Amino acid sequence: MTSHMRKSFWLLLVLPGSLFITVFMLIPLFSVVISTFFPESSFTLANYSGLIRNVYFQQVFGRSVRLSLLSTLLCALLGFPCAYYISRYSKHKGIMMAFAVFPLFTSPVIRSFSWMVILGKKGIVNQFLVASGLFARPQSLLYNEFSMTVGFVQLFLPQMILSLLGVMDSIPEDLTEAAGSLGATRFVSFLRIVFPLSVSGLVTGSVLVFTGCMTAYTTPQLLGATDTQVLSTMVYQYAMSLRDWAQASAIAVVMIVVTMLVSSVFNRLSRKINPLAA
Amino acid sequence: MALLELSHITAGYDKNIILRDFNLSVNRGDFVSLLGSSGCGKTTTLRLIAGFSEPNEGTISFDGKDITHVPLHKRNFGFVFQSYALFPHMTVFDNVAFGLKMRKLPKTEIRTRVMDMLRLVDLEGFEGRYPREMSGGQRQRVALARAMVIRPDLMLFDEPLSNLDAKLRVKMRVEIRRLQQELGFTAIYVTHDQEECFAISDQVAIMNGGVIEQMDTPAHIFNAPKTEFIAHFVGFENFFKLSRVSGQLTAENGSPMHVALDRPGDAFTGCIRPEDVQILPAGSNALNGVSGEVLVSTFLGRTVQYNVRTAIGEFVVKADQSQVYPLGASVLLELSANKIILINPSNQ
Repeated sequence: MTSHMRKSFWLLLVLPGSLFITVFMLIPLFSVVISTFFPESSFTLANYSGLIRNVYFQQVFGRSVRLSLLSTLLCALLGFPCAYYISRYSKHKGIMMAFAVFPLFTSPVIRSFSWMVILGKKGIVNQFLVASGLFARPQSLLYNEFSMTVGFVQLFLPQMILSLLGVMDSIPEDLTEAAGSLGATRFVSFLRIVFPLSVSGLVTGSVLVFTGCMTAYTTPQLLGATDTQVLSTMVYQYAMSLRDWAQASAIAVVMIVVTMLVSSVFNRLSRKINPLAA
Repeated sequence: MALLELSHITAGYDKNIILRDFNLSVNRGDFVSLLGSSGCGKTTTLRLIAGFSEPNEGTISFDGKDITHVPLHKRNFGFVFQSYALFPHMTVFDNVAFGLKMRKLPKTEIRTRVMDMLRLVDLEGFEGRYPREMSGGQRQRVALARAMVIRPDLMLFDEPLSNLDAKLRVKMRVEIRRLQQELGFTAIYVTHDQEECFAISDQVAIMNGGVIEQMDTPAHIFNAPKTEFIAHFVGFENFFKLSRVSGQLTAENGSPMHVALDRPGDAFTGCIRPEDVQILPAGSNALNGVSGEVLVSTFLGRTVQYNVRTAIGEFVVKADQSQVYPLGASVLLELSANKIILINPSNQ
């Protein structure tokens, strides 16, 4: 095969896939983005200026960011010890990893419905709270920011654990042994050796969790309420209920821009601080 | 009293028992090597001493105290890893200072000790560098410095020179020995390189299958191995059966064998090095002469190696290159009486 033939061969292989993506993803995406600047045949930023000045939008945007940050923090706090245990101490690593990523195999709808049962007024949690005497009456644990955060954390914890696990597994065992031989307790060893070397995994995991929470739809829709909207549910409301496609598109574009910005900043950071690159 | 004693140690897991009723005694100030091939248990032993794992049975005592269950971080032994195990996110200075920081020494003292140690291992000026910016030999010296700076009573080395090229290995082994004698610590050194360990050790323990076959000075092991395994290890290539007939050691073909290092026993395996067998023309007069036929001749430069078939087995002989014998030639092999070593004693 001459190099000319090889090039055309590859182009032919790549063509169907790229054509599909272009027609069904890139073109619609661009048309949505363009449409937000041209609601009536002339270029205008009015859609965006109106949106940013809209107090309700500000609240929703703030809530999205706040819940995403909180969920990211919780995933980091829960994920770190989990990943550390699986990486260093677990004798059945495969099974533990399977448990960790198990939630990813069920649909978000099923997961959210399960939480609705667990957190409901007659659910297990409330039954325990009342029976143990902590509360006189069943608490409202559902359809609020609490249940949304719970849903987010359960949804994205596997991502955090896997990101951390990947980095932790590449930390050689003899580093912690060396630290121990020099007098470091297990805790100090974790703090001074394992943690600094896992930070790049923490950053990668945080980006995945943060952007995931910002753009998740099913979980906030099922576990939230109309007074606890986030950006994705707001898009749905404008598009489906209010038929205001222009506003919905503008909000969607804001979501895309924010998540792309956060991802690229953190990814660049993560690459800079990875000291294991020899 | 020995500085370090391992008594009746059993170590291993599930179906894989590596050490069984293992005993080792190390004297203060000695440089002791554990020599053997992979799987013999030498690294397991070292890691037990260090505290990376605990024995299933038995005790480890150091300076008279039982340390079998003392946790790793309290043992105060320096450990040098085969892969150096330098902390990649810390500078050379911080790596070397780590042990001192753990002991909460004042900053000024840490600075002095680290700089002195770097000077000692010839790494002055490298304190700001990171491990990834350094060569293998330099990293090895950082690993050494980091372990020695805490002034441990016992230094443990796990094949520290395996990852270096041959020239550097020879240079570094001399350095390690010099530092040991200068700083006065006791060293336990694990290696599979016979030449390396014989060059620098006071005592060598040859391990095979989880057991110490012989622990002695390098000279004794080299000249008087106790087992067939060790004899092979140190270069004996010729083995032949001997039995005592009317008080005289006799080979299988009935010829008497005069052995200077004789001792009581009815039967032995005799062994001798290729260099200690003289090859002479057939019909020559010699003590301990064995006649044979040249099978193979291999030119090695200064020497020639002959494989000779005899009535008591095939012999490997090294001769000066001037001694030329064609294939199939009849020759007489003279086994030097004071170079035959007796092993595998048995009484019939």
